Amino acid sequence: MAFLALLALGAVVLGIGVGSVFIPPADTCRIILNRLFGVSLPESIDPVYPGLVTEMRMPRVFMAFLTGAAMSLGGTVMQSVLKNPLASPYGLGISAGAGLGAALVIVTGISGGILGAFLLPAVSLLFAVVTVVLVIGISARLDRGMSNTTIILIGMVLSLFLNALMSMLATSSPEHAQRINLWQLGSFSMKEWRQVQILLPVVLLCLAVFLFCAREMDVMTFGEEQAEALGVNLKVLKWVLTGTVAVLTGSAVAFVGIIGFVDLIAPHVVRKFFGSSHRRILPASALFGGTFMVLCDLAARTLVPPKEIPIGAITALLGAPFFLYLYFAGRRRR
Amino acid sequence: MLQVEHLRCGYGGEPVIKDLSFSVAPGDRLCVLGPNGCGKTTLLRAVSGLLPAQGKVTVCGEALSKLSRKKSAQKIALMSQMSSVYFSYTVYETVMLGRYAHMRQGLLAGEREEDRKLVLESLRRTGTLELKDKLITELSGGQLQRVFLARTFAQDPQIILLDEPTNHLDLKYQLQLVEDLKDWARQGERCVVGVLHDINLALAFANQILLLDEGRAVAFGKAEEFDLSLISQIYHVDVEQYMRSSFQRWEHASSPQAKL
Repeated sequence: MAFLALLALGAVVLGIGVGSVFIPPADTCRIILNRLFGVSLPESIDPVYPGLVTEMRMPRVFMAFLTGAAMSLGGTVMQSVLKNPLASPYGLGISAGAGLGAALVIVTGISGGILGAFLLPAVSLLFAVVTVVLVIGISARLDRGMSNTTIILIGMVLSLFLNALMSMLATSSPEHAQRINLWQLGSFSMKEWRQVQILLPVVLLCLAVFLFCAREMDVMTFGEEQAEALGVNLKVLKWVLTGTVAVLTGSAVAFVGIIGFVDLIAPHVVRKFFGSSHRRILPASALFGGTFMVLCDLAARTLVPPKEIPIGAITALLGAPFFLYLYFAGRRRR
Repeated sequence: MLQVEHLRCGYGGEPVIKDLSFSVAPGDRLCVLGPNGCGKTTLLRAVSGLLPAQGKVTVCGEALSKLSRKKSAQKIALMSQMSSVYFSYTVYETVMLGRYAHMRQGLLAGEREEDRKLVLESLRRTGTLELKDKLITELSGGQLQRVFLARTFAQDPQIILLDEPTNHLDLKYQLQLVEDLKDWARQGERCVVGVLHDINLALAFANQILLLDEGRAVAFGKAEEFDLSLISQIYHVDVEQYMRSSFQRWEHASSPQAKL
């Protein structure tokens, strides 16, 4: 775990340092320490660097880290709750809901009012959470036991439905279609401290909720009947956990768009190295997801400068082979 | 200790269990017998509170329907037929999960000394102590079955419900399991209700027998007074003939001529 934390720290420093202007890691560290703890800066540092680091790079890298952490935490929790290694927050309709919300704001072009620039994230978060509540609510209606298969199925049906609505919106106003499309691909550009200030407490709070339920999640991975027989109140727990996942991943998606794949692979990678106990894999998957996302973002903005590759494409591009390698390497050993 | 009165339950449509009543006293080992589909598993699920049911189930003097999940898990444990495992916990971690109902919830509330002691004792009891640090995904079916059994012991309930616990176990562990459960029930005021398919094993295990057919009790009473011919009737096979022929083969195998 300490190794993973170091790795995360290294990735963050690297992510802040590398870009159109390269800032040496030592200088990056000095500037970060200066901004966070007031450590004085040596005069050898280029006077342009501090502004670049604190106003452009740091918020971007922090947002990437927080988003990665949020998505992989959400994935880890959903896989345990649904006892399905392929489950993800997106399967609950979070991406579809958030996407529809964002598309509505873009197409109608309504202004933010008091929310200002936060109108779009706010609406898409709202849509994401409402979608999850709908999925769980309908599942509970149809099936009193709220079984996993019902939840997965309803999540899928509702996702497809909302996606169809969004496609219709996009085609009905072609002038907005590109913006909707870009939003969907996700991006960390133009991120500000204000967004970090909102996402950071959300991630920490949700992590605390998950850690509080760590033992329950351990029990749940053995199946619903066994969990109940061991004394877990499944219904309540499912509501609490999926609700928290909705808020967590919904907030991340609302700010940066739909970035897939980390939520799916991070839990698997982390379980490979840390076993299955949630007390270990929850913090580990947050660290891993954050690190992975920072590196992906780094690749996204440096591979073909000055263009930026959509981050969602990078996560899948790097993630898919990596995941296959891990999966089949593990298989061969068995 | 466990009282079931006019139990009626199922999965929508025609009830699987139709008006069933019986009771189990401290120290009892009740074996539930009956052909496939007669409602044995459904009965265990209803008695452990996993399946909503009509009628009344009383556990240690308290109505089951009034108990919270955690409270009922402290009194009654169910070991279901084995499911597959996807996540790689160690054997020790898996058995420790049996302590869930007794642990306080929270970030810092960890396992206490008594939890660890009970987990080790349960591991020893089921012969899985040396597997302690192995991953459950690496175990054989029989080993996994014993680990789940250890988890059930670690849950430290008053009543254990077992659904075909001898599946996957070899003969040695089957017999050992029966002895273990008898010991367990004898110590303190506890009882075991088990679904076993092997008639011989059932007779070795139980002091009470409940014979089910189509959701109703055909017979319920002391094992030594149990009319074995009922089994032939319910299962539509000649059990006596089967037993006799297999016994004759044993006799033949151990006779002096066979050894020559």
